[in-house]
Amino acid sequence: MNAAPAVTVQNLVKRYGHFVAVNDVSLSIHEGEIFGIIGPNGAGKTTTVECISGLRAPDSGSISVYGLSPRKDRNKVREFVGVQLQESALPPRLKVGEAVRLFASFYSNPVDPDQLLESLGIKQFDNSSFKSLSGGQKQRLSIALALVGNPRLAILDELTTGLDPEARRETWNLIERMRDRGVTVILVTHFMDEAEKLCDRLALINHGTVRALDTPEAIAAQAGGSRVRFVPSQPVNDETLRAIPGVNEIERKERYVSVTGTGDLAGSLINALAAFGVRVSEVEARGGNLEDAFIKLTRDDASSVGKGVQA
Amino acid sequence: MTGYRLEWLSRRSRVQFAELLKVQSKLALREPYALLGGLALPAILLAVFGFIGQAQPGNVGSTGLTIIDLWTPTILVLSFIFISISLPNTLVRDREIGWLRRVSTTPLHPSRLLAAQLIIDLILAAAAVLIVILEGALVFGASLHVQILPFAVSPLLAIVELFALGLVLVALMPTQTVAQPVAGVVTFGLMFLSGLWVNPAQVGDPLRTIMYYSPSGAAVRAVLDSAFNAGPSYAALLTMAVYAVIFGFIAIRYFRWE
Repeated sequence: MNAAPAVTVQNLVKRYGHFVAVNDVSLSIHEGEIFGIIGPNGAGKTTTVECISGLRAPDSGSISVYGLSPRKDRNKVREFVGVQLQESALPPRLKVGEAVRLFASFYSNPVDPDQLLESLGIKQFDNSSFKSLSGGQKQRLSIALALVGNPRLAILDELTTGLDPEARRETWNLIERMRDRGVTVILVTHFMDEAEKLCDRLALINHGTVRALDTPEAIAAQAGGSRVRFVPSQPVNDETLRAIPGVNEIERKERYVSVTGTGDLAGSLINALAAFGVRVSEVEARGGNLEDAFIKLTRDDASSVGKGVQA
Repeated sequence: MTGYRLEWLSRRSRVQFAELLKVQSKLALREPYALLGGLALPAILLAVFGFIGQAQPGNVGSTGLTIIDLWTPTILVLSFIFISISLPNTLVRDREIGWLRRVSTTPLHPSRLLAAQLIIDLILAAAAVLIVILEGALVFGASLHVQILPFAVSPLLAIVELFALGLVLVALMPTQTVAQPVAGVVTFGLMFLSGLWVNPAQVGDPLRTIMYYSPSGAAVRAVLDSAFNAGPSYAALLTMAVYAVIFGFIAIRYFRWE
């Protein structure tokens, strides 16, 4: 990953009146990766990607998309950036095939509309009007419109919201196939499982700032850490446990001891306790979880900002 | 801006626009507000007045014109009104659902979408002129006395002025639920002022002056003059031109794509 980044955002600020939606966001996205943007509602995710796609002008800061400015080089950038917008509908009587062929005509190097509809599993709805489609079919059409221009960068906002589990999984496969073809993907989501499964790297945005930027595993480990539950062969006091490297929190319930922390938690616990002559049984370990990290990071913000508002 | 202009002329740009026109025309057929209001309704109204005229032959008051003579221009302007008012019906919706915004993420500027819509409506208005003249003159014997050039100016100005009014509604109405009743009231007002129910020639002042200098009344007067007197009154033409400028300014000033 030594090549120049596909997208660079530096010190992006965007206000709506007095409300600061994005406050000093900086990030860079590598070519060919699936980059996730997660965060609570109203965190500034959508505004950030709208600035990247050129739909909104930043108040300050700079954005470069493959070396071009989304506002100044608007015509060029729109050629190779495909956008799927949150909550955007088509005229109710426009037909699926018409919409995709119309959008194909907008681009200089489009993919074959029929093949695209085929690969998205909506070829049979070619002649159906938009209003007759189900939520999942509309979502797939929306993806088709984002991809028909054969983009180098696809920006997908709330991609699988409103889809059933089956359709979500199909959509995920589709995104992975896109990456395999070399398309850079920016994925805005508030589903942690989606971010964990799909994204190569993630930015967690809260209150308009980047709170964490790393691989999903690293963010999960950094904030939430893993958790190990076990039954010790004889009582162990808290000090002994706390002295073990990586241990953060200890909880007890009946015979069970639960420890959360970072690193190879289970390994270091078992070895350290063995040194005290304590054997452990019924060990249950769970890796770092993005959802825990998300809640911890956003909760930290709420308490440090002192608003006490649930994000 | 020269780059933009050159792009307009490129082959690809023409292919894009042709595809856009094709799709927009199909939509205009599937959501036929403009088609029904602009072509079918005037054709029917003209027939109604035609039969009334046949039942009551002779001139209306001191106008020197028969019923069908008098109402043919009104009905033509009515057709323009309905076509204009269909603009907020579709465009406000397209903006509200995010379609114009969606299009603006592509290399195509949404102004082309608007341009395509206006071209289609212009074609409908031209068809309305043909239908009304043919039906009025040939079927019901309106004694039209048309000189092409002066006659062309009046409907053209009327179309520009009323389309601009439609675009004002598109610009100012936030949602479809607001736009529909407002457009309804505006349509009704324009229909009244055009003289559909009471002819300005038959009412006293100040109503007559108000009607003459209203957007639709001035249009009817200009079309009427140029259809029978061969020269439209400059006052009527000027009135329409002023409205066109004012409406055009407001529409451009407040137009939003999202």
